[in-house]
Amino acid sequence: MNKTMSIILTGICLIVPVLAQQSDQGYSTAHSGVRFAPLYIYLDSGNKSLAAYQFELEAFAGQIKIVGVEGGRHEAFKEAPYYDPAALAKDRIIIAAFNTGSDLPKGRTRVATIHLQIIGETEPQYELKLIVAADADGKEIPAEITFEKGE
Amino acid sequence: MTERTEHFDEDLDLKASSRFSNDLKALFEPQRGVPPEVDRTVLDRAQKHFAQMQPGKVKRLRIHWAWRIAAAAAVIILAFSLDLTKQGGPTTDSFPISETRAADIDRNGRVDILDAFKLAKQIESAGPAETEWDINGDGLIDRGDVDVVALAAVRLDKGVL
Repeated sequence: MNKTMSIILTGICLIVPVLAQQSDQGYSTAHSGVRFAPLYIYLDSGNKSLAAYQFELEAFAGQIKIVGVEGGRHEAFKEAPYYDPAALAKDRIIIAAFNTGSDLPKGRTRVATIHLQIIGETEPQYELKLIVAADADGKEIPAEITFEKGE
Repeated sequence: MTERTEHFDEDLDLKASSRFSNDLKALFEPQRGVPPEVDRTVLDRAQKHFAQMQPGKVKRLRIHWAWRIAAAAAVIILAFSLDLTKQGGPTTDSFPISETRAADIDRNGRVDILDAFKLAKQIESAGPAETEWDINGDGLIDRGDVDVVALAAVRLDKGVL
């Protein structure tokens, strides 16, 4: 009987800390305020057609997790862009897309939407860096990248 | 509405015969409980039956269950320690650096989306293809290779080529 009890108690002692550790993260976020918000990414290629782009986003001064990535508004970039799935649940991501068609956007256009989980009250700051933008011939073009915070 | 209601039971004889009365009693008499002799016999037999079980056997049975519980606990701990709740999505870590170098289609020393774009344009135009563009090694140069190049471009840990 004593042996049985000791086995059961040992099992409980091992399970409880593991379960507590597993639920710790969710518990702490529930109490520190978690919200979800989209971040809209815009590219302005001026009077040139935008056929390909690649940019990097990194967050600092706050705790965020990237939870999803969506395509843009224009038909040419409507599909979800390329990104490393390992970036999900992190605060840094590289996003890229291209379109070999002829119907391409010009001027300022929304190319992607990044869905974020913001943890805590600190408003996160973002660093957005355009790596490359190109026209239909694959030639690099100057472009301006900006973002807008959504609700 | 002029109907008369009359009662004719004023002279009714309510006395029943004693025989009829006894029959009714026998019919509706509450059932008796289990006689104490029967109760005692059942109890004795039950005690004899459980006395036949050896104490060692009972102990072995308990230990057997204890091992089952311990095994179940071990499985749960293992599952949580491996964190099976996390879904393993596709990653770009699966292909080696040599393939990443091959993904540098325009040979400018870096892999970016323009490499994928140029490869896609080349495939669409059905122009001359180089064997080394078969990045995924499936014997075909197609959209699959373009995807591998594009994923190499967005890898977080690609470093400097």
